[in-house]
Amino acid sequence: MSKEKFNLPPELVKILEYWRPIAVTLLLLSVLWSSIFQVSTEEVGVITRFGKYVRQVEPGLNIKIPFAEDVYKVPVERQQKQEFGFRTDRAGINTKYSKSSSSKDESLMLTGDLNLAEVQWVVQYRVDDAYKNLFKVRNPQSTLRIISEAAMRQIVGDRTVNEVLTVGRSEIATKLEELIQQICRDYSMGIKIEQVVLQDVNPPEPVKAAFNAVNEAQQEKETLINQAKSEYNKVIPKARGQAEETIQQAKGYAAERVNNADGEAARFTALYNEFIKAPGVTKKRIYLETMSNVIPKIGNVVITDEKGNNVLPLLQMQMNKKNTTQ
Amino acid sequence: MKTKSIIIAISFFIIVVALNSSAFIVQEKDQVVITQFGRPVGEAIVDPGMHFKLPFIQDANYFEKRYMEWNGDPNQVPTKDKKFIFVDTYARWQITDPLQFFKRLTNERGAQSRIDDILDGDTRNFIANNDIEEAVRTSNRIPESSDTRIIGDSLEKINVGRDSIQNMILESANKQTADLGLKILDFRFKRINYVQEVQDQVYERMKSERFRIADKFRSEGQGEASRINGEKERKLKNIQSIAFRDAEMIRGKADAGAASIYAKAYDKSNQSRSLYGFLKSMETFEKTFDGKTSIFISTDSELYKYLKSMD
Repeated sequence: MSKEKFNLPPELVKILEYWRPIAVTLLLLSVLWSSIFQVSTEEVGVITRFGKYVRQVEPGLNIKIPFAEDVYKVPVERQQKQEFGFRTDRAGINTKYSKSSSSKDESLMLTGDLNLAEVQWVVQYRVDDAYKNLFKVRNPQSTLRIISEAAMRQIVGDRTVNEVLTVGRSEIATKLEELIQQICRDYSMGIKIEQVVLQDVNPPEPVKAAFNAVNEAQQEKETLINQAKSEYNKVIPKARGQAEETIQQAKGYAAERVNNADGEAARFTALYNEFIKAPGVTKKRIYLETMSNVIPKIGNVVITDEKGNNVLPLLQMQMNKKNTTQ
Repeated sequence: MKTKSIIIAISFFIIVVALNSSAFIVQEKDQVVITQFGRPVGEAIVDPGMHFKLPFIQDANYFEKRYMEWNGDPNQVPTKDKKFIFVDTYARWQITDPLQFFKRLTNERGAQSRIDDILDGDTRNFIANNDIEEAVRTSNRIPESSDTRIIGDSLEKINVGRDSIQNMILESANKQTADLGLKILDFRFKRINYVQEVQDQVYERMKSERFRIADKFRSEGQGEASRINGEKERKLKNIQSIAFRDAEMIRGKADAGAASIYAKAYDKSNQSRSLYGFLKSMETFEKTFDGKTSIFISTDSELYKYLKSMD
């Protein structure tokens, strides 16, 4: 009867005749649409019924009660990271980083000896408790940022600038990881810290030169010491060798001296043994033998008798003349 | 028939609207206070799920159940040792008693501004009562320094420390917020730094400190080099003198030995002594006489006595 009242186009009238099956189909479709959902591999689905948490579902195709249940998907397997003191502009083979003034504020911090250091670091984390992450803390990501900054400053604040810049690096990363993890646990964030990586740790720009000067001075020190050591090593072993040489020479001298003495003594003794048998003749023989050896070598031999003493001055003159002309 | 169906439709509509206004959903993250004409009634609802209230006359007021953030106003604060530092703080807090919270603070914004007053004030007080080190450092740990770098690494001794100051502020703030229906879970210094004007002075100080360390390194190097050099000289003299001494001793011993051998051979009797003298002078003749030597030999001598006569 209503059909006659409105002047509807005939096509619409025809559709309206089937309004029941159409409505049922639409209803079914919407029920299906709101009851089937997909959870991807890195996520879990947290399901609430009228706002109340009821269960957690694994990756894959899942079903929920339509309209009454809601699903929150939380990427629990995905490793996420936060950067402090720098930002990755474009990750890739040649990753580009940038530093703005606000990231400089993040990195500049006081050390325990009231110096300043610029520390850059990365916190890698994962949501390991989807329920806590969703329902225990508001804005867990920004909370984690703040925690990391506070924790890093606490740890750096307990160390000297020298430790922060050199020896303490790995220890700082370990301690920071522990501290952030502990605070996350206190806050029920449902976040697991996978790793804390310390990137560049530098003195602030205005004092870099001074820090380099320290390194240079250290090199200089090493050089000076090495030079002295090398000089030492050059001289001392040589001196040892020379000392050994001196001693050996002395020993040689000693051997020579004693052997010579032995030899000469033996020779003398042998001669002496013969000599005492006939002292007069032996002595005479030796004297004459020696003289007959010696006389031919002598330049001037003058034989005189006791009366010829007066020729001496004359001869003297002659010999002097001869010597000067030679 | 027609009026009946209209009545049914209208009553159905009313029921739906009333139900819609009566039932409400409390999420896991929420807690709800029911008010009737603006006045809270009953206990706060903290269990998530579907709940009901009287339609139209009652309202549901939602409050956050999770931990919430609070960030302090970054501010310049003087320390006890009159250093101006820049302090940035943060806290986490939670509504523990929604009813009380609602009565006292109405909403989150009211709460934030109240926490601002309390925590910013406390921060100021506690920083002003302590030296700068106390806010920066946590413990009296002994700094570790590698043995190659003998830099005078030292940390001043602290009495209170960062953790304690944070805890004291937290405690004091929680006392003040006790009747506000909220609890501050944690309070921390996020950033503490020198104010801009002081930073340049700090840089200057750091520079001079580094240069001092550099000078120390250099002088240590020179000192060590001199020490090595001195040791070298000492060793050298030592080695040389020992060698000289030993050599002289060896020679002396040998000389003594030789002397004793000679003495034993030559000093047997008068005859041996005169033989030795005789042989020595013979040897001397042989060695010393050459072409430049002139000698006069008398015919009285043994050698030429036969020149004059046969007798």
